[in-house]
Amino acid sequence: MSTLNSAWDARKTELELPEEIDLQLEVANVGSRTLAILIDLALGGMILFIVYSLMLLLTRDVTRDLVTRFSTHAILTLLLLLIFGFQWGYFNLFEWIWNGQTPGKRLLHLRVIKVDGTPVSWIDILLRNLSRPIDTFGPMGLIGLLMIFVSRKAQRLGDLMARTLVIHETTIDWSIFDEIKSPLPSSQISNAPAIRLSSTQWELLHRYLNRREHLQADVRLRLSLSLYENLKPLVKGTDLELSPLPPEDWLVELAQRT
Amino acid sequence: MTLGVFVRKNRPRWQRLETMLGLIERGGPRRTNRSFLQELSTFYRATTADLAFAQTHYRGTTLLLFLHQLVARAHNQIYRPNRFSLRGCLRFFRNEIPQALRKHLQAITWSAIVFLLGTALGLSAVQFDERAASIILPTNVLDSIYSGHMWTGGIFSVVPAPVASTFLFTSNISVALMAFAGGLSFGLITAWILFQNGFMLGVVFKLCADYGLLGALLEFITGHGLLEISAIIVSGGAGFVVANALLNPGSYSRSDALAEQGRSAVRMAIISVPALITAGCIEAFISPAHFPVWFKIALGLTLGGVFWLYLFFTGKSVQANTPR
Repeated sequence: MSTLNSAWDARKTELELPEEIDLQLEVANVGSRTLAILIDLALGGMILFIVYSLMLLLTRDVTRDLVTRFSTHAILTLLLLLIFGFQWGYFNLFEWIWNGQTPGKRLLHLRVIKVDGTPVSWIDILLRNLSRPIDTFGPMGLIGLLMIFVSRKAQRLGDLMARTLVIHETTIDWSIFDEIKSPLPSSQISNAPAIRLSSTQWELLHRYLNRREHLQADVRLRLSLSLYENLKPLVKGTDLELSPLPPEDWLVELAQRT
Repeated sequence: MTLGVFVRKNRPRWQRLETMLGLIERGGPRRTNRSFLQELSTFYRATTADLAFAQTHYRGTTLLLFLHQLVARAHNQIYRPNRFSLRGCLRFFRNEIPQALRKHLQAITWSAIVFLLGTALGLSAVQFDERAASIILPTNVLDSIYSGHMWTGGIFSVVPAPVASTFLFTSNISVALMAFAGGLSFGLITAWILFQNGFMLGVVFKLCADYGLLGALLEFITGHGLLEISAIIVSGGAGFVVANALLNPGSYSRSDALAEQGRSAVRMAIISVPALITAGCIEAFISPAHFPVWFKIALGLTLGGVFWLYLFFTGKSVQANTPR
């Protein structure tokens, strides 16, 4: 239950859609945004390092023939363009072609969207990324961190200027809702009375039952016991209350009746 | 309806919507495929209805979280802004940039004033004490001026022009964009950048005049200087627009003013990119080379003139905007 709760306790933002629905999305927190930036910086740094080493290797050669000189100058130009491109182009380019994601953001399932829920346009992307020297890079990053920490929708200055925010997208795992594979004969179920579970309880039960195959034996036992203890009071007055089944089979049986 | 029944009944259509979105996101069927789009919009609307239902009946479930995300993903694809187009790009340069600039002439004037203030101070600083030049100019430049030579000859004979031009325009563009971003520091960084660049210009001018290099300096600077300085001043103006939004938001809230003014400020800042690439290439290829002086003067005046004429006079007609 804890993972479920934490997803909902995180800062959420309400966006209004034209379909008259308030969409609730999870705003990315300081930690994941910092990590995403660090991944992006590491990636850029690695590329620069490779090109720089290549340049050092080429210039080490003392024979100043025409070919070496040409390639040295070519790679120096490339290095200049790369540094410049990384500083001003990297975030703009990736957020533009990947619809609000950079490699770091993609790894951490973050995405930039407009405050009203629509995708970012290239002007928004320019606005939020050209302002990075003031609130992201180097010691100025402290300003950005503070802004993300304090502001309600975790927006740094550039986000305020571009009216954007960064959201966290959890990958959807539909397997929670799969049919429960039952080892029990179904004949004894058909005539038993139905039991009402609340939707969160139903989800919890199914999440456990569909995951149990992948759990370690001791974890599996512990979880089934704890679920059994918690769900037992709900079946008062039905035949399940006195059922002699072991906890896990009992839970399967319960899932069949709802 | 219990959650189990609800999920079993509607899950196929959520999954269908998911696969359709996956197809689109990977660049699959686009505008052309009519039946695909109709199916998409049907499934999208059905899923928003499911979301509304789940919002009332299944609060706090993962399912609700999933549906929120699924609808958001679909919404992103259905309401995405116009993709990049050549026409949009053309309109951006022909209309939007000059219009943005003409709205903020006051900020540009201030930017020019700060720059010229720097220049005046640079001139008078060297007048007062020649050693003031060493605060801002590197020693090799100083040494070559003291010995009565232009420093440019030395630099451009060692570094070939393509490398030099790349270095020049990347560092100049960085300065210009920084001047824009500096608006967020209430204009302090913007003002500092403008002042510093103006100061350097003033120092170099006075020092070269003192050592009899004024003619050589003018010959070097005339080809690219006007365009370069204009571009820096325009992006400094962009920074001041941002700063003004923060300092005088007027009837807006500060963040709304920032968002509103930022959109035109970034347009002003962007024009400095092509301008500075041009200026950097001229500075490396033409300015140090042995072209006739009249050619350099004509080139410099033409480029500066075209830059300002473009900003002042193009895109006056109000074009019918594409709906967004």
